[in-house]
Amino acid sequence: MLENTIYIRMRNRVQARPQQVVYLEDIAQIIAPETILPTVKKIFVHQVTEQDKNIVVIDVMKVIALISSAVKVTDIQTVGAAQTIIQVIFKEKGVSLPFFLLIWFLLFFGSAMTIMNFHDDVSMKIVQEKLYTIITGINDPNPLLFQIPYSVGLGLGMILFFNHVFRKRINEEPSPLEVEIFNYQQDLDNYVVIHENKESMKRLDDN
Amino acid sequence: MTIKFAAVIFIGLASGLSVGSGFVAFLSVLGIIPRLTQLSKTMDKIHWYEWGVVLGAVCGVIASLREPTMGLSVYLLIPLGLAGGIFVGMFAAALTEVINVIPILAKRIGIHSKIVQLVMAIVLGKIFGSLFQWVYFIHQ
Repeated sequence: MLENTIYIRMRNRVQARPQQVVYLEDIAQIIAPETILPTVKKIFVHQVTEQDKNIVVIDVMKVIALISSAVKVTDIQTVGAAQTIIQVIFKEKGVSLPFFLLIWFLLFFGSAMTIMNFHDDVSMKIVQEKLYTIITGINDPNPLLFQIPYSVGLGLGMILFFNHVFRKRINEEPSPLEVEIFNYQQDLDNYVVIHENKESMKRLDDN
Repeated sequence: MTIKFAAVIFIGLASGLSVGSGFVAFLSVLGIIPRLTQLSKTMDKIHWYEWGVVLGAVCGVIASLREPTMGLSVYLLIPLGLAGGIFVGMFAAALTEVINVIPILAKRIGIHSKIVQLVMAIVLGKIFGSLFQWVYFIHQ
């Protein structure tokens, strides 16, 4: 490593408490010469206040400015993301049980009704009766022997897709749902990075 | 006459082509087959799965247009029903995912830790709704 070179890599997302003082080591990974490393780590970056609401974006340019005013270095190398999102956590949000149960039953009866509508929409009953007749040659208006395994399979298929049997995972790969949640979070972060970061947009009426 | 026959054949072929490609396109958007190969680690057998879907669709076409009878055992319907159910279940799960219901719901009400229970609510709801429909609802 070159003498007098600092490498910094901004973390993507950092959580902070209200009123917390944020130092450089909280928001970035740092590699620096031994002599100045403690100083660099403890550079004051931001004091979380009430006005910050719950998201603060720290741009790497601000960090570079802070570092160069704090220590004498000739070279600052940045790697990776150009900003860190500080997420202010006000209090651990616990969901109340009645609220949770309400949502649970909302989803339960909602999906029960949806599947019934779907079956009606695609004339599932007629198809099942036909299938029953094709295979057995018997005309039965209630092919329960087909319908009950079908219903159980319906749930099995969803579990298979989401890769979860209650708490157990079928294998260690992330499920599509987890990937989807990650992508959604990533999109939100991208939005926040542009819109909450005053440095990334210049409007005509800004001056 | 020949022209009429040719026209009918052409129209039949054309509509079959569009329905078939629509079916495959829909299946690809939902990504059920990649998901199954990922779970079973059989990426190399994906062509077999393609043929499985195509043959299944063609058999379905024959069954629904010609209505043959085979006179086989009733119990054959149990695995068939199960397989059909799993397929529709994966379909429903994939659809829920494509339209992004769960991530947004979890974000809005801030219950990331309970997301498995919420998925189970949907799964059990589907099973309950389906059983309820076949055992009780259609007889009313």
